[in-house]
Parts: sequence; structure tokens; C-alpha cells
Amino acid sequence: MLAAQVLINALVLGCLYACIAIGFSLVWGVLNVINLIHGSFIVLGAYLAFGVYQWLGVSPWYALAIAAPLFFAFGYLLQRLLLNRVISAPVLVTLTLTFGLDLILNNAMIYYFKADYRKLTLSPPTGSISLFDVVVPVDRLIATVSALALTGLLYLLLRRSKVGRAIVAVRLDRDAAVLMGVDVKSIYAIAFGLGAALAGCAGVLMALIFPISPLTSSVYLGKAFVVCVLGGLGSVSGALAGGLLLALVEGIGSTLIGPAHATTLSFVLLIIFLVVRPQGLLGRKGFE
Amino acid sequence: MTRVNLALLVLIACVASLPLFGGAYALRIGTIACMYAILALSWNVVGGFAGYPSFATAAFFGFGAYATAILLDKGVPLSVAVIGSLVICFLLAATLGIVLLRLRGHYFAIASLSLVEVFRELVNNATDLTGGGMGLNIPLASGSGILADATFFFYAMWGLLLTTAVVVMIVSGSKLGFGLNCIRQNETASNMVGLNSTLYKSVAFGLSACFVGAAGGIYAAWVHYIDPSDVFDILYSVKPIVMALMGGLGSPLGVVCGAFLYLGLEEVVWRNYIQIHSGVLGLLIIMLLLFLPHGLISLRAGMFWRKAKHV
Amino acid sequence: MVQSRLASFARVSIPLLLAVAGGGICASAASADDVIRFGAPLPITGPLAPEAVKQQQGYDLWAEQANKAGGIAIGGKKYKVEIVYADYQSNTPRAVQTTEQMITQDNVNFLFGAFGSGAAKAASTISEKYKVPTLAATASSSQVYDQGYKYLFGTFTPNDTLTTPLTRIIKAKAPDVKQIAILARNDLFPLAIAQEMEKSAKANGIEVTYFEKYAINTLDHSASLSQIKSLAPQWIFVTGYINDLLLIRKQMVDQQMKAAVVTMIAGPAYQEFIDAAGQSAENISSAAWWHPAEQYAGKDIFGQTSNFVKLFRAKYNSDPDYGQASAALCGALFQLAIERAGSLDRDKVRDELAKMDVVTFFGPVKFGANGQINSLEPPVFQIQNAKPVVLFPDAIKQGEFKLGVN
Repeated sequence: MLAAQVLINALVLGCLYACIAIGFSLVWGVLNVINLIHGSFIVLGAYLAFGVYQWLGVSPWYALAIAAPLFFAFGYLLQRLLLNRVISAPVLVTLTLTFGLDLILNNAMIYYFKADYRKLTLSPPTGSISLFDVVVPVDRLIATVSALALTGLLYLLLRRSKVGRAIVAVRLDRDAAVLMGVDVKSIYAIAFGLGAALAGCAGVLMALIFPISPLTSSVYLGKAFVVCVLGGLGSVSGALAGGLLLALVEGIGSTLIGPAHATTLSFVLLIIFLVVRPQGLLGRKGFE
Repeated sequence: MTRVNLALLVLIACVASLPLFGGAYALRIGTIACMYAILALSWNVVGGFAGYPSFATAAFFGFGAYATAILLDKGVPLSVAVIGSLVICFLLAATLGIVLLRLRGHYFAIASLSLVEVFRELVNNATDLTGGGMGLNIPLASGSGILADATFFFYAMWGLLLTTAVVVMIVSGSKLGFGLNCIRQNETASNMVGLNSTLYKSVAFGLSACFVGAAGGIYAAWVHYIDPSDVFDILYSVKPIVMALMGGLGSPLGVVCGAFLYLGLEEVVWRNYIQIHSGVLGLLIIMLLLFLPHGLISLRAGMFWRKAKHV
Repeated sequence: MVQSRLASFARVSIPLLLAVAGGGICASAASADDVIRFGAPLPITGPLAPEAVKQQQGYDLWAEQANKAGGIAIGGKKYKVEIVYADYQSNTPRAVQTTEQMITQDNVNFLFGAFGSGAAKAASTISEKYKVPTLAATASSSQVYDQGYKYLFGTFTPNDTLTTPLTRIIKAKAPDVKQIAILARNDLFPLAIAQEMEKSAKANGIEVTYFEKYAINTLDHSASLSQIKSLAPQWIFVTGYINDLLLIRKQMVDQQMKAAVVTMIAGPAYQEFIDAAGQSAENISSAAWWHPAEQYAGKDIFGQTSNFVKLFRAKYNSDPDYGQASAALCGALFQLAIERAGSLDRDKVRDELAKMDVVTFFGPVKFGANGQINSLEPPVFQIQNAKPVVLFPDAIKQGEFKLGVN
């Protein structure tokens, strides 16, 4: 049945979207910085997975373990050394700064990896499973499950660990956190590092399903934006909700009015939400 | 007429002498320079004066380009088509502004960014009217020589630049400009004092869009073929912002100087660093933001100049 | 006050002068007498970079062959060939600017068109204004040639020359095909050819049950593919560039879509498509403007088609596809035109191109009134056993059409 297929497609895609957006949402929620490099981090993570699989023969799941600390370090240093200087500057400055950084990273990737589209094809190919006329490709399913696991891990980290609670505290009320003895500067760097690590891991998962090229970074960024606004900033459940909503709107819209209009629809929805309900579906203060 | 504004007029007058210095290619660069100066000046009204970081410049540039192109296709003469685009963009922006300008900071930036995407996809899908992904053709004006053509479009763009600069200068000295200044500093307080901030902001947004639309129209007539991904390119939004930041936010003279300087740098970089030109651009942006956050104009803050307006 | 005016003046004139001076410095030594310069603006960086590589391979092969033979002969004297490359960053406005720069600063004698229909069309305005003969190697949409320009010529036949023979073959070999679904990339060439397919299908009594466009950077097609699957047409027709087609093909396999006929344009002609798609490329049909299996005895510098293929293999270690062949053809055509005109005068060369009627390694070349070639019969082929098998025209037919794509 078409409706069931569209629904299942949307659910699977929605979780992937959530995974793309979660790091972006964290950085935006905690540091109040819109990180335009996010898309390029994702692509870099995808290249990492591709490279690791191609030349070392290592399964992409191990690439996750490699990507996380690498990207965390990269993000941490970037924030500590560069972004921290403009952290209290107005919106325009941080946006333009991250835009400039993205130009550099993207250009470097095009230069070293070339703009060709690479594809990580698992061998043997994983195929698809079919239940009552609804078909789900196995690689997407695995990526979805991994994405959910990642977000779950983040949730636990934020609730159970000391660092996580400190991050939530900074998000809730920066000044009060300082009074409580939280080293805000270091928390900012950790949060940014976390965001980068999540982006890198999301990239590894994306490599399994989508083609890899520096040119796709703006696509991922665009999705992340919409998911954050729809679902609410700084919240794991918000990212999930936003991701699912976006995927549903796109899927149903595609079926009813054609795929050409799907992207337009998502951005119109973005604007509507911004005007009518800027905190998103599940947005609230405090990161949970 | 303050010293700064006089300097700006002198600068623009000097640019008019470009045809004496170079041939058709130099005129091409000059036309592009004037175009970006218009974009930067216009953006400054909503971004520098009112303090709302708008990324919608590309949306109106593309819209104006298509509006003019469609009108030209229907046989309307160029000047009428361009003025038509100007008016349409002003009204459209003012109307959209009423809704969008309720947002602040990041949210407004994102909303204006999405405007670019929405407009582009709308144009992309209206295939019958705009040619969709296949682009739109504007017939070549028959018979005119290359140099004559280049000079004509250079002066058209230059004339628009002059108009924009004059309007911006009038605005900055008028009640509207004063009101925008207040809004930028503290919108809530301005509202309390009785300032109709919605009206002022919408007018500012409209002004920031109308000349951009007209510039887009002249651009379309100049290149004869446009397609959605060319004219709705996000860089038409970002570059004017970088130029404004480079030259000094809030100051018309600074913004125009920033525009010219940026373009000069871009030409040099394009010729010499083909493979890494966008990387070099990125580096430039970063250094600018870290070391010269108030733009070039702050370099001369001292005895002769007012301090750069703060963001 | 004077200080400020001077400063303002300096601030504007210095960058402008820099730019102009830079242009002057970069303009190479003016017309060395024994060299003919051809300008080739290419998208060396950006999304279209892989295509630029192919074009460059074609141009370079021709230049090498021409220079090996001593150069182009004009009135008893031989002129060496020099190709000037410039990058327009896959950005159409830059393509226009680069074209003008090549004409005014680099002093090229003739031009090769920019890649693809969109950029070629935009840049052709400049070459028309300056009256520089331009040969576009990869512009197939007739919309490129509808501006009435006299100095633009193209070596790809119009899109309907691909779709018409394709429809005829399908009708003949697969009479059960009654419905077609068309999915097109919203871009000049892919959309134009999809529209041609729609016309062709309707003219042949095949019902078009689905016609949709997808945005340029679409990563996920599952919604449109699910819908096509539910309509179950016998023929699925997809247009886009190689990466779009690979993605769509993979997602079709993921969704377990089957159809009697699946046609994709324009990727299957490239070996990269077959390698990347693997088993899923089996029985995909397509059409292209040239195929290495063709056998023409050309009057150009390459002569036999097989000779061209041999030379290409020797230089690049791979088989040429239509992109490189067309680029090399443009070079060879310029050579023929210049030799026939007996001079470098642009109008004379332009006239020779306009009345060209010759067989080349690419096929018979004759340009229509609008400058686009109209003498070729583009081959229709199908991928069978990981190799492209030509089905049409009959002169070079290699196999029969096979039904059923899984």
C-alpha cells in the first residue's frame, strides 16, 4: 500500500534527519551559535568512513569509534582557539565567521578529495526486507537504529554524567551556572566538541546510504536547520520530533504535489513555524 | 550634507570615470563592482541601520531579475521593466517584512535565508512562466556594438548606484534613519516611546529590497540568460554582508569602500589561486572578523571621523 | 578634507587599477605569429569538475595530434595549436565573464563553448557580440540555439534525436509497454530531454502516468520512487547526471522496483556508471551522441573512428565516451574550417563552419541554420553483461533489445 510505504519511508528518514540535526541543535542551544560548518563536518565524517572502508577494509561501525574522538578534538580546539573570541559578539559575526570557516573546510575537501561523488557500497550488499508489501532497505534500517542509539547515548550523557549536567546548566542559565562553579568556557568547548563528534558520526552513517561529496554539505545543513526550528532547540526529543515531522511533510507532500515542491514546502513550513511557534514542537528551556 | 556623505558622492563620481581607463572587460568589472555596491548599501539599511541581519538579499535580487526578464519578454522597454521590478520588490518586501520582522536575531536570519530557498524553488517550479530549471532568455538588442553595450550597462548600474546612495543618505539623516537607529539600540524601549517600529522596519526592509531588485533587473538584461540557481545564489546575500563588515557596518561610505575593496581582492585571488579561491575567501572573512570587527572605517577613527556605528 | 578625498579616491581606484593591471599582466604575449589560440572555458572546480576533465582530455588529444602533424596549414605555412584553459567554477555568470576575458585579455582566435547547455547559452552572447566562432561540444538542447546567433555551432544533435529512435525501438520490441513514468532533474538539459520524451511517448500512444521534476540537490528519492512503484508503469524514464542516476538506481533496487524497460539519460554511457552500479546496471537502456563502436571513415585529422579510439586509449588508458569524442571533434572541425578558409579571419572561418558537410570520425557533420548539428544519428544502446551494446542505428547494431529490469 502506498500510504504505508510512504509512512515507513518517512519514519526511517526522519530518524536519519534527527541524527543529522542533533549536533547542530546542541551547539545552537548551548552556545547560541549557528554552526554553519556542521554540514561539512558531516561530509568529512562520511569521507572518513569511506576511506577507512576502502583502504583499511574496516567496517563502518568501527569508523564510528574513530570518528567520535577525532571530531570531538577538532571541534573542541576550534571552539577554544577561534570561536571563543567572538562568542559574545552579535549574531551576524558568529554566522559569518562560521560561514568563512565552512568555505575553507569545503574548499579543502574539494581540493583534496575532488568533487566526484563517491559511494560506500557494502559488499556483500545488504538488500531490503519486505513486510506486507512495504519494503525497507536494510542499510537504511541499520543506519536508523544506529542513529537512534547515538541520540540515546547523548541523552544518557546529558542526564547522568557530571559534564552533561553542567552543559544543561549552562543552557538553562549561564550566569547561575557560573555561580555554581561551572567553568563555562570549558563547557562551551566541550559542547561544541560534542556537536562536532555527533556530526562526524552522523556522517559515517550517511555514508552508508547517500553518495559522498563536498557538494552535499549544504543539503545536510539545510535539513539540520529545518529540523531544529521545527522540533525545538537544544533537546534530543525535539530533534527527533522535528526530524519525523520534516520527513513526513516531505514524503506526503511529494506524493500529493510532486517532489519538486517538497523542498519549497519544508522551507515554507520553517517560516511558518518561526513566525507562529518559534520554540518548535517540543522546545523548552533546558537540554534533556 | 556631512563630510562622510560628501566623500561618498565624490567616490561614486570618480567611479564614473572608469570608461576612460579601460575597455570592455574593465567596464564589465566596473559594472559588477557597482552592482555589489548597490547590494551592500541596500543591505546596510536593514542590517546596519536597523540591526536586523538579513540574508534575503539574494531572494530579491533573483526576484527582480526574473520580474524584469519576464517583463522584457513581453516587450516592455528596459527602464519601465526595471522600475517595475523596483516597485514590486519594495511592496513585496514591505509586506513580507510585517510578518518576518517580528523575529529577532538568529531567527530572523534563518527566516530571511529560507526566503531565498522558497523564492528559488517557486521560480524553479513555475516552468511555464519562468522556464524553470531551463532558464530564461532575454533577446539581444540588435546591432549595438560591444563597447557601446558595455558602456550603456555600466552607466545604468552606476546610475542606480547613485540613486541608491542618495536615498540611503537621505534616510540616514531623516526621521526614518533616526527611528531605525533607536530600534537597533533598543527596540522595546523604542516601542514604549511611541515609535511605530513595525512600520519603520517594514519600510527599511522594503528599501533594502527595492534597489536590489532593480540591480537584479539590470543584471538580467545585461547577461541575457538567467536561471534560478544563478540568480538565487546564497552568495549574493553573503558577499554584501562581508563587504559591509569589511568597510564598517552602518556607514554608507564604509560599505561602498568595502565593496570595492572586496571585489578587487576577489579578482586578484581568482586569477592567481584558482583551486583554492573560496578557501582564501574564507580565510579573509575570518581574519576580518577577528582583527577588524568594525571594518575599515574604524581604522580612521580618530580626529576627522565619527566612530563607526556599532552593530 | 582634501586628505579624505584623496583617501576615498585611492580606495576605489587602487583595487580597480589592480584588477585591470592584473588583467594586463596575465594577458599573455600577444599573437606570436605561428600560433593559433583556442579558448576553452571549463568548470575546472565545482560540481561539474569531473565533466571538465573529460572535455580537457578531448581537446588535449586533438591539440597533440594537430601539433604532431606540424600544425594547421594555412597558405603554405603551419601554425601550432595552443589551447588556453580558464576555470569558471561551475558558475554560469563566471562562465560569461571568463569568455569575455579570454577574448579581450587572452586574445584567443576561436572559442570552445562552456560545458553544458546552460553555460554555453549564457556565454554565447559574448562570443556573438565579439563575432568569435564558437563550437560547443556538449550543448544539446535546442533552446541553446534559439537566439538566432550566427557564430555559435554545436556538435550534439537536438534532444529529440535521442528520444525518437528509442521510442521506436521500444514500440517495436516491447509492444506491451503502454505506460511510462518520467522523473526529471530540474535543470536545462535533463528537463528538456524529459519533455521531448513526453512528446515522443504521447505521439506513439504511450500513456504518461507520471511526470515530475526533482530539485537539483535531492538526496532522497524514496517518495517519488514509491509513488512510481505504486503506479506500476512498464517503462521508467529517468534523467539527470551520473550521480543522480546512480542514486536513483540504487534506491529503485532498495524499493525492489521492477519494470520491463528502464531508460536513464545521461549516465549509462560512461564506464563509471557501469562500474559503480554493478549488477543493477543490467538491461538499462540509454542513448548518447556517439559510441566507440561506430565506424566512420572521417576526412578529419583522426580519420577512422577506430583510429580515434586507439589514439585515445594510448594516451589515457581508457576508452573514450561521447564527451571526450565531442570535444576532440570540435578541435578537428576548427582545423578543417581554418584550412578550408585558408586564413584566420573569423568571418571566413565562420562561413566555412556554416557550410561544412563532411564525414568525420564522429559521424557526418552538417550544421542546421541555427548552428546545431543535424546530420547525426545518435546511437541507442543497452547495458548487457556490463557492456554497452548498440541497438541503433542498424549500420553498427551489435545486439537485440532485452526486456526486463530488476
